[in-house]
Amino acid sequence: MGSRMRVGIVGAGSMGRVHAAGWRAAGADLVGVVSRGGASARALAQTHGARAFPDLDALLREVDVVDLCVPSDLHHPMTLRAAAAGKHVVCEKPMALSVADADEMMRACERAGVRLFIAHVLRFFPQYRAAAEAVRSGHLGRMGVMRFRRVAYPPREGASSWFADESRSGGMICDLMVHDFDYALSLAGPVARVFARSLRSHHPASSRNYALVTLGFESGAMALVEGGWVYPAGTFRTGFDLAGSDGAIEWDSDSTESIHRYLLLTETGGAPEVGLPLTVMTEDPYTTEIKHVHAALVSGERFAVTPADAAAALRIGLAARASLRTGRSVAPSEVA
Amino acid sequence: MRVGIMSFAHIHAEGFVGNLRAIPDVELVGFSDEDAGRAARAATAFELRRFDRHEDLLDAGVDAVLVCAENARRRELVELAAAARVHVLCEKPIEATLADAEAMRVACEAAGVTFMTAFPMRFDASVAAVKRSLDRGELGALHAVNGINHSEIPNGHRAWFADPELAGGGAVMDHTVHLTDLLRWMTGSEVTEVYAEVGNPFYPDDVEVDTAGLVTLTFANGVFAAVDCSWSRPTTYPRWGHLKMDLIGERGALTVDAFAQALTAYSRHLPRNPTWIGWGADPNQAMVEEFVESVAEGRPPAVTWRDGYEALRVALACYASAASGQPVRLDHG
Repeated sequence: MGSRMRVGIVGAGSMGRVHAAGWRAAGADLVGVVSRGGASARALAQTHGARAFPDLDALLREVDVVDLCVPSDLHHPMTLRAAAAGKHVVCEKPMALSVADADEMMRACERAGVRLFIAHVLRFFPQYRAAAEAVRSGHLGRMGVMRFRRVAYPPREGASSWFADESRSGGMICDLMVHDFDYALSLAGPVARVFARSLRSHHPASSRNYALVTLGFESGAMALVEGGWVYPAGTFRTGFDLAGSDGAIEWDSDSTESIHRYLLLTETGGAPEVGLPLTVMTEDPYTTEIKHVHAALVSGERFAVTPADAAAALRIGLAARASLRTGRSVAPSEVA
Repeated sequence: MRVGIMSFAHIHAEGFVGNLRAIPDVELVGFSDEDAGRAARAATAFELRRFDRHEDLLDAGVDAVLVCAENARRRELVELAAAARVHVLCEKPIEATLADAEAMRVACEAAGVTFMTAFPMRFDASVAAVKRSLDRGELGALHAVNGINHSEIPNGHRAWFADPELAGGGAVMDHTVHLTDLLRWMTGSEVTEVYAEVGNPFYPDDVEVDTAGLVTLTFANGVFAAVDCSWSRPTTYPRWGHLKMDLIGERGALTVDAFAQALTAYSRHLPRNPTWIGWGADPNQAMVEEFVESVAEGRPPAVTWRDGYEALRVALACYASAASGQPVRLDHG
């Protein structure tokens, strides 16, 4: 190929670092990095032989695609700026913090003729892919009861403390549980009702949170989604249980770790600021995801996760939060 | 103590035979069952004296009975037993309607006999250990519980489980009550709100009752809990199902899988492949012993009629919630 796709990364936190490695593995030209502090952008740029840019506009002038690994309240304004500059956008989840913002992002990208990918990486995790494939193949029959677990520890104070600020991250429900909302929708279609209970509604001051969200699907299927920032640092438990009319699939991270370490004199307290639910793999799912995005941008093929998918998942998270406020079940169509 | 079993309609009656025989002070007099075929099979399989009519068992002179009829037929048997001044251990859910459950209380109180609800999981070694952990304050304040009591459809063992008339419902009636009781016991608090998704996604062509339920309970003390009562395990599953809880508290989390103590067996001679062969203590043994001891000592049993009633009330509230699509409040006056 004559010219490689030029990529710029915005945000040099844990996701920026992971995505940068993904773009390199995909064979893209990682041109530059911009971050609020500057120092972390310089470090990340140096790692990949890229440049640190002073601001987003400077970066936008030099790239074909911009990858937004920034706090979620910046997804909407930065996507609009990138679209206005005629650049493709890759954006971390949740897509936005309101349905109106998500809709505006989609419209802006469409108008500008640029593509928008929301990084719902769960679809690229091999166990989730394998289960989705089994569902699609009909092994399970019609979907009946789905269970999802995603429980980890509260994001640590410091650079990642914006996670705990619901006005910036959407809170644990929109930031963490949105992964499983998107996956559940991909398996069972539209949701009619959302009902939620959470720890945060009882203890609003705490950065810890735990929620149980029930989804009633239009098809008659149902799902229980468990999410939490309540476990000790370093713990990340995930799992799913998909039961249909003809069979069931169970997976949980507790029981399928291929390596367990029982080391004497291990260091404790070394957990990363934000946990990632990774197991032993040849290729990490973030790289799989970025390779897919890269290939789809080059070829023009459809993304495996569309902006409409991401907006629908966001709606579930917002409906869950509305359920917490009202104490009622909420239809996703009710939220704005 | 002379003890009888009224009806083998419930599959648990079969296990209770061994539980009763293992108690030195108990004489298992026999059983009554009006289903001739089932009665003949049980009499042969367990070498038990058989009574064709429930009255005949009571006339034979028993101090206590285990009532193992279908959900909607327990009131009749409990009233017969109470009238004969015989103490009762009653299967769960204790009846199919609150009015019938209330009638059982009135009958037992009037006769001055014990009514114990058969909630064996309170006597499970792992569950009891979790209760002690909570009581010691290991988790600090309890905030939330994610409970699973999902299973295969039980109508392969007994068809009435999926008969709306005899069972009063399906999966929700069958499996909401166990975790509801454990949660009431562990929190020391009553359920004030119930939300439920209820449906029949698993056997829509085969049964009329619900086969799936996802229930959210909110307790007076603020604890919230999910209960998955679905008949969502395929009949090819290595065992009937599970009872699990993830408990989230002030100081972290604690998980319990009550039936984790099992062997995994692979054999062409087993009906399930693999088969999980449990090796943990049988909670039913401790439950039946508690019943016998409470009767012998003339004290209230560890699990009362009230416990059975409140759990049934929650199960019935699930159907009301599902019908309205909204949470249902429960008052405790």
